Amino acid sequence: MTALIRFQVTGYVRSQRALYPMIVVACFVILVLVQSPGQEHGAALTVGTFGDIAAFMVPIWGWTARALLDTAPDVQADLSALAVGRRTTATIAGLISAYGMNVALAAVMVAVPLVQAFAFHVGGPAMLAGVALQPLAAGPATLLGAWTCRAVIRSPALSALALVGGCLVLLVLSMGPLAWLSIPMVGWLRAAHHDEGAFTAGFPGLAVHLVLWWAAAAAVYIWFRRR
Amino acid sequence: MRLKHVAFRYTRGGPWVLRDATLELAPGRILEFRGANGAGKSTLLRLVAGLLRPRRGDIEGRPARVGYAAERFPSGQPFTVAAYLSFMAGMRRLPATAAEPWVERLGLGPLLDVPLPELSKGSAHKVGLVHALSSGAGLLVLDEPFAGLDAPTRADLPAALTELAAAGATIVVSDHQGCLDGLPDIERYRIDDHTISGPLPHGRRRAPEEAEITEVTLEVVVPADEADAVAAKLRADGHRVRRADR
Repeated sequence: MTALIRFQVTGYVRSQRALYPMIVVACFVILVLVQSPGQEHGAALTVGTFGDIAAFMVPIWGWTARALLDTAPDVQADLSALAVGRRTTATIAGLISAYGMNVALAAVMVAVPLVQAFAFHVGGPAMLAGVALQPLAAGPATLLGAWTCRAVIRSPALSALALVGGCLVLLVLSMGPLAWLSIPMVGWLRAAHHDEGAFTAGFPGLAVHLVLWWAAAAAVYIWFRRR
Repeated sequence: MRLKHVAFRYTRGGPWVLRDATLELAPGRILEFRGANGAGKSTLLRLVAGLLRPRRGDIEGRPARVGYAAERFPSGQPFTVAAYLSFMAGMRRLPATAAEPWVERLGLGPLLDVPLPELSKGSAHKVGLVHALSSGAGLLVLDEPFAGLDAPTRADLPAALTELAAAGATIVVSDHQGCLDGLPDIERYRIDDHTISGPLPHGRRRAPEEAEITEVTLEVVVPADEADAVAAKLRADGHRVRRADR
């Protein structure tokens, strides 16, 4: 499986596709994140930024996952599945590759807020929660992208529409009483913008919610792909 | 390995691409499938390889390791030939050098550092063949392996397949060019109207409708230094060749 993950990530990075999310992330970091918040509310704004970037990155992570999984031609996907022996192994390798790429993007995105958190003396637990939120949120977003890849939705137009529509539906769902069905985007935004204490206290619940959503979506996706 | 009453269609309610296919694929055997375009050869091969699941019937006893060469190699990938073969060997937990003997045999050595998208169609096809042949598979599935190959490789490939079969591999080939006609110990099948018939009797190399074709003699003029290659290619295609200068 390791060789297949390396193959998929190498293929994606060497293709032009990898540039697009990198450019978006670089623009966001340069144009938005390096603008240091004022000294007066620096700590509170920095904690809020951890929530903002996780929410902003959900569609970017989904897009990246979809692009990575669509990089190899269909015949190559067949050859890879035969080479590793099982279709399920290839499916899991694809998810790990996409998740790894998304975590790398998250690392670039979170670097500046992390430096600012140190500068404004944000508390350790809030800082840890802010950093941990990124890979936790990247998991469900990766699955969202995987559910719209070519192996699931053949038409590129429908697939793009499904990705954008999926993000919107999840955002709207997370605002109301059916928030438990969605990725808790509004939940972590509210907690992060409330104050450090609320963010730290709410984080374990958010983390459990994200992990459960992630596990359920992954299990159904792997089952669906092995049919 | 055996197929029991296998039927397949791509969509529920769609037309059947293959009906009631029952086959025994014994180790060490070479099975050749012929049929018109769209007859279902590639679908059958993908079912045999495990890339498709039968809608009806069962496939049992498939070897754990399956080698597959598609009709069209996916050359639009950002790797050199060497890097690609190394990655694929890694996926199979084989040494990175596993493909070297086949690289030499199929004449891919000078192209190892060439990016896949820059390969000619024939060379790209060879990369797919090298990957499949070097996979150490118990079941080797080759979809039109002779398409686009140069004459020396076309002439050598039947012998290579015979060697792999002698080592115990089951080899399943689709071929409408008759390049395996020279092999005596081969099971030949036809796919007509989405149904498999065969094995055809040995020595019966052509389909019944082809057997009535009257033979004619063509005179082909080629440069002297290309004569051997052209003759080999024509022989590989199943034609008899006489040289006027010998």
